[in-house]
Amino acid sequence: MLDIQDLHATVEGQEILKGLSLQVNAGEVHAIMGPNGSGKSTLTNVLAGRDNYEVTDGTISFEGRDLSGMEPEERARAGLFLAMQYPVEIPGVSNLEFLKASLESMAEARGEEAPDSVTLLRRARAACEQVDLDQSFLKRGVNEGFSGGEKKRNEILQLMMLEPKLALLDETDSGLDIDALRTVAAGVNSMRDENRAIVLVTHYQRLLDYIVPDQVHVLSGGRIIKSGDQELAKELESKGYSWINGEEQSA
Amino acid sequence: MTAPATANELATELKAQALARANARSGNDALGPMRQQARALLEDTPFPGPKHERWKYTSLRALEAGHLKAPAPTQQPVEVPPDLGFARLVFVNGHFHEALSTLPDTAGLQVLRLNGEHEARLSDAPASPFAWLNGAALEDGLLLRVAARTQLESPIHVLHIGESGEPACCDMRIRLEAGEQSEITLIEEYAGNGPIFTNAVTEIESAPASRVMHYRLQHEAPACLHIGSLILQLAKDSHIRSEQFMSGSTLRRNEVQAQLNEPGAELELNGAFIGRGSNHADNQVCVEHRAPHCTSRQVYKGMAGDKARLVFNGRIYIHPGAKDSSADLSNNNLLLSNSAEIDTKPELEIYNDDVICSHGTTVGQMDALQLFYLRSRGISEPEAQRMLGIGFINELLLALPHESIADWARPWLASEVTEAE
Repeated sequence: MLDIQDLHATVEGQEILKGLSLQVNAGEVHAIMGPNGSGKSTLTNVLAGRDNYEVTDGTISFEGRDLSGMEPEERARAGLFLAMQYPVEIPGVSNLEFLKASLESMAEARGEEAPDSVTLLRRARAACEQVDLDQSFLKRGVNEGFSGGEKKRNEILQLMMLEPKLALLDETDSGLDIDALRTVAAGVNSMRDENRAIVLVTHYQRLLDYIVPDQVHVLSGGRIIKSGDQELAKELESKGYSWINGEEQSA
Repeated sequence: MTAPATANELATELKAQALARANARSGNDALGPMRQQARALLEDTPFPGPKHERWKYTSLRALEAGHLKAPAPTQQPVEVPPDLGFARLVFVNGHFHEALSTLPDTAGLQVLRLNGEHEARLSDAPASPFAWLNGAALEDGLLLRVAARTQLESPIHVLHIGESGEPACCDMRIRLEAGEQSEITLIEEYAGNGPIFTNAVTEIESAPASRVMHYRLQHEAPACLHIGSLILQLAKDSHIRSEQFMSGSTLRRNEVQAQLNEPGAELELNGAFIGRGSNHADNQVCVEHRAPHCTSRQVYKGMAGDKARLVFNGRIYIHPGAKDSSADLSNNNLLLSNSAEIDTKPELEIYNDDVICSHGTTVGQMDALQLFYLRSRGISEPEAQRMLGIGFINELLLALPHESIADWARPWLASEVTEAE
């Protein structure tokens, strides 16, 4: 589904990704771990098409399409979703209105009917319940005045509503207490599906106790330097990131 | 062909037209003394020219077409906006239109016409020559008196429709006197089409411990001209909240003079003004704290697209004796195009030390992160911009106590935003 080959990318002129390769197949859950500054968030932002994140070399193919020339909205309509590390607040635009506009754009691009307002509201309420957000959040401005945990749960709510083919979760676990972490993990697990791929980007192994990945990759210095299964994550947790850097240097 | 008049010649010419208009309205009815007083003030006040600081960004050139020379006749309006579900008093070209109006049936509320049957007086707040002209030339208007301790549950809606095919002018005057401990909601709406100049004055006096909720909805077509004065005078422990929404037009200027005259008065002013095409909207707001322990809060938002020009001047004046004053002013503006212009200026004049005062003005563009967030959810860039523009204004609408008014205003302002891009 996602095939990244030798990706080099710069942020404001500075090269952050330096030859990253990654393949993710439908039905799989991948975790990308790495120390701060290793390029984790750059990778997700490059994939989502954010301004100022420039691909200088390599290819990104999503279901056979070259992502790099596509606008952010085209990527989203093609089935890519990024749950952001720091979801932005948009006062004056209600959450429900936002979901409606999003679903309508997606449906239109696919030549499908958008859900009517009754169906939309029913689904949104059910999603609220699943991520443990009060329904009043639907009427509030997008992320406006939400706590850190509420913002993250709102990202998962959108994930559930939009049903993307590929979900990128950027540090969705950071700043969550254990109950919120369980809720978020349950939401993500409910979206596991043989037709959908999920990429978790995280600094901590803790999330992987609740969302068990098929593969774990270690990102360091803008490249994936080691891949393995969940055991790799546990090893990282106990030995720290210096272990992997040290190993690389001695290798 | 004669050369175009200089700005000074224009000011002289407009003043001569204004005085001629005032002189044509003599007559010995109950409004006579007010007209005479206003005429004398008009005569003493120079018309604004380019050297007037308060008129630096607003030219009266559009009035050169001769609007002041042609009083608009009473007529049947072509277009009447939908009602908002409340008792509605309708004026057309400055004249009361009985057939279109529903009189409020409310004990404790006096609805009187300022058409010569009842006397009126000028407020002592400082005013522009246009406000004096309104007083000097007035033919019709409205006086609302709320009796002490009367709480009116349903809002009173006053609609003014200005329509003319040729340059013409009309005056509209509303005076609201809220008695002690009374409560009222007044909705002022201005609609219209064609090159008509509406010269409006609204005065609100709140007696001790009264509460006034006021809306000003101004959506005249771009060809219309409007200069309006809103004068608010607050007595002890009274509360006025005024919400002002307006789209720009050929010439639009709003002057708000608020005077917190006695201790404990509270004033809340919020507004949004949107300009598109080559429209103009100028808001001049002055809040005076003249007594101790008063509070004022202001939030104004401007949004300009195309080649529109918006002006905001917010003055807060704290008098020497006005101890324990609290005053806030914020004016945030969004520029939607490179050719649009917004000029904003806060002015603070504080003459004692016991004051909490804050002000902030910003002019910016749409937030890149907010745009990216919406686009990353599949929403197209133009639609995302539209949503953010509406959201910017919608913050004020969501806070309105009357949901039906917010629901009515939302599509209007949304269409202004959409077309402004």
